[in-house]
Amino acid sequence: MAAIAHPDRNFKYCLISPAIFLLLLVGLFPLIFSLVVSFMRVTMLETDTSFAGLVNYVQLFHDARLWQSLLHTALIMVIALPIELLLGLAMAYLFLDRLPGRQLLVSLLMLPTIISPIVAGATWRLLFDNRYGPINQIIGWFAGHPVPALWTVNPGLVYPAIIFCEIWQWTPFMFLILLAALSNVDRSLTEAAEIDGARFWRSFRYVVLPAIFPVMSIAILIRGLDLFRIFDIIWALTAGGPGTMTETISVYTYIQGFRQFETSYTAAIAFLVIALLTVIVTWAIRRMGLAK
Amino acid sequence: MSDLKITGLHKHYGTYHAVKGIDLEVPSGEFTVLVGPSGCGKSTLLRTIAGLEEASAGTVEIGGKNVTWASPRDRDIAMVFQNYALYPYLNVYENIAFGLRSRKVASTQIDKRVKRAADMLGIAQLLLRFPRELSGGQRQRVAIGRAIVRDALLFLFDEPLSNLDAQLRDDMRVEIKRLHQELGRTIIYVTHDQIEAMTLADRIALLRDGKIEQLGTPLDLFERPATRFVAGFLGSPKMNFLPATIEAGEVILRDGTRLSLPAGRNATNGQSVILGLRPQHIAKAGASAAPGHVQLVATIELVQPTGSRVQVNMPLGGISIIAEFAAHEVTAPGEQVRIDIDMIRAVLIDPQTDKVI
Amino acid sequence: MKGVPFHRRKETKLVLRYLIATFLVVIFVFPIYWLFAISFKTPGEIFAFPPVWYPKSIQFNNYAVLFKDGDAKTVGNSLVLSSVSTFFAMIFGTIAAYSLARFKTGGENLGVWIISQRMMPPVAIAFPIFLFYVWLGWVDTYIGLIILYTAFSLPYVIWMMRGYIEEIPLELEESALIDGCNRWEVLWKVVLPMARSGLFATAVFTFVFSWNDFLFALILTRTEVMTYTVQVTHYFGGQSNFWSKIAAMSVLGTIPVFITVATLQRYLVRGISMGAVKG
Repeated sequence: MAAIAHPDRNFKYCLISPAIFLLLLVGLFPLIFSLVVSFMRVTMLETDTSFAGLVNYVQLFHDARLWQSLLHTALIMVIALPIELLLGLAMAYLFLDRLPGRQLLVSLLMLPTIISPIVAGATWRLLFDNRYGPINQIIGWFAGHPVPALWTVNPGLVYPAIIFCEIWQWTPFMFLILLAALSNVDRSLTEAAEIDGARFWRSFRYVVLPAIFPVMSIAILIRGLDLFRIFDIIWALTAGGPGTMTETISVYTYIQGFRQFETSYTAAIAFLVIALLTVIVTWAIRRMGLAK
Repeated sequence: MSDLKITGLHKHYGTYHAVKGIDLEVPSGEFTVLVGPSGCGKSTLLRTIAGLEEASAGTVEIGGKNVTWASPRDRDIAMVFQNYALYPYLNVYENIAFGLRSRKVASTQIDKRVKRAADMLGIAQLLLRFPRELSGGQRQRVAIGRAIVRDALLFLFDEPLSNLDAQLRDDMRVEIKRLHQELGRTIIYVTHDQIEAMTLADRIALLRDGKIEQLGTPLDLFERPATRFVAGFLGSPKMNFLPATIEAGEVILRDGTRLSLPAGRNATNGQSVILGLRPQHIAKAGASAAPGHVQLVATIELVQPTGSRVQVNMPLGGISIIAEFAAHEVTAPGEQVRIDIDMIRAVLIDPQTDKVI
Repeated sequence: MKGVPFHRRKETKLVLRYLIATFLVVIFVFPIYWLFAISFKTPGEIFAFPPVWYPKSIQFNNYAVLFKDGDAKTVGNSLVLSSVSTFFAMIFGTIAAYSLARFKTGGENLGVWIISQRMMPPVAIAFPIFLFYVWLGWVDTYIGLIILYTAFSLPYVIWMMRGYIEEIPLELEESALIDGCNRWEVLWKVVLPMARSGLFATAVFTFVFSWNDFLFALILTRTEVMTYTVQVTHYFGGQSNFWSKIAAMSVLGTIPVFITVATLQRYLVRGISMGAVKG
């Protein structure tokens, strides 16, 4: 992959400058701005822009609700991601060999992924309605009597509801990526393994998995980060409720910033999140050689 | 009991009939080559024997067992692929050992057998390397090693030398021949290269259009081809085909040249035939013609030296034929030269049926 | 299944796979069907217990209400914001991608930083931007959101287009240079036409990402530039949701995406897989 022999210095910087400018606006600026504001004491009531040191950051450590929200976020990530991965993989295997009408079926499966997450949340809100929603109706068929489950309110059901919706929307994404990756595995390798006596799991572990691992890692990274930032689905279904039970870090930050107007405190949270994520993501990207 | 027995094998891909009824029996220890032009069905046949494709009709028996519906791992076969198919994330040792590990062979056994195979193929020093670090020839040896380390009944080779450059191909051909001599396994070998077929095979099955055109030893097919196709496929440079008629024990070419047929040839008077002459059977004439040989004078058109031999084009019977002389017998274009045609070895073909008479 | 004839075994597997596949598709598509169904139902059918599985007749009342109330304008806002921002993102992003691909501008570090920007949580970014916009007076303005969406789309565009550009043989550009083109002409005449399908696919996905955005719109729009995604949430109530409006608005906002993606199916595998898998 050679670069052109005589780089035109001005040209290449000229090309990249509008993009860099905008990216700095969205990337660097919020970081610095948050940092600055987080050292002040700006809230709904008072606008004290004097330097207040690390007072907001100290408060972060003592904020149980913040740590709770991180816990909630982790919970969703740890449950949804493996399910999406395994389900997506199983589906990819299902669709791997020839199947009549495969093109149509795959296109239909893509639908949940391309609608807006807020629409997805709204849709499931309607589905989960305790009286008029089809979900309860179907459960009622199996139970033999009406089951007016309060999916968006009942503490025992809110997480399943959120996770269902999330998995519904994003498993097809995993499915598509893994399907493409599986299709790219060299046929002769799996054939050689079969002749060598390997059954499915052995062949999968030594031939298929190493081959799809790079692609799978990217998918896991992307989905993992999306799950960390999850907001729309939760906002549509529970708005963080009941109480603060389903508050994730994004929801909590939003509430702090735009309901409580704890400006400086929110700035501190924002800064911390951005800084932390930058470190983690940069490490991951370098590790996987994505920028090459 | 033969190691491989195929009866009435057919393979369809939708409406495309790739293999049209093949019968083949391969006795133990024999090196059988499936050869033919592209699209003749040889790879399909091999893959069906391996179980990588399912037969549409017919049976496949390996070692006396009917394996027509068995999966590849249950057929007691080993296979060497054209693109080597080495496991990229395992080193050479593990690549070779893979099949043994799958069958739960003891580690000590594995170690012994892997090292023995590696020694035999001269790759013992590469055992810890990974496929991507190896050259094409080295990878091919590893692929062969992976196959021979298992004591399979049948060894299948799918055009293993096609991806190698010419020099390497010659070396590997010798290796494979030597391996067969040492190990004495039953081998089914697919290639499109007739030189590989001739040098390696105990028996050749020449395939054309999904059927076996002729089955026999290399010499059989070379000296006594059954059809025009076989005659033209084997031998380099190709056999010359001259349209002619038989008249009074002589072959009359289109340009009037008369070549007398040796005694014992049954050819009907007035019959139109195609005369097949191999370039190797047309030589520069010596003192006098031996019995069964015919001498005449021809004008040289083109001279192509190939090292130890020279290919010479000349007109005969209305077409331009190729003869092969020794290098020192070089002549220049335009020269007239006396040639000696071996009519004993010549082949007569019926133009209607393409069969050799 | 030892002993069962090969072809019979494969056939049963195929039938089984087909059944499971169809079953899965039904499950995944049902919620979308339900959404559409509600948008066409009468209030009586919507609030029926047990639920009515399909509307007796398709009636567009729910949609009409949206247009009458002016709520449908939000779809228009979304359209403006998404198309303009996609347009600029594609231009700035593609030329930046070219700079990265051919000149390795900024080396690996710049590439890493650009990709990492895509992974930032919107809320953490939106908050300081919000404060900034308040100061600028850009809250609830077209320009404010267009700039934001453009900037936020850039990492994706750069990442994808870099991949596509790298696949174009260098010889084509070199030969154009020898033929006397300057660098801008090479870009315009050689590179862009060759990258056409990549441009297409990336543009579609960029458009869809910003079209589907909720959080930025929630934070940075009020009444003037409200997008359909925010509008939908206005129909949520504590107890009584405006179901018909939720459904109809959602459908209005979803149909354009469906149409776009449906017509451009073939080019999109790569876009969805984020360039992780070629072709």
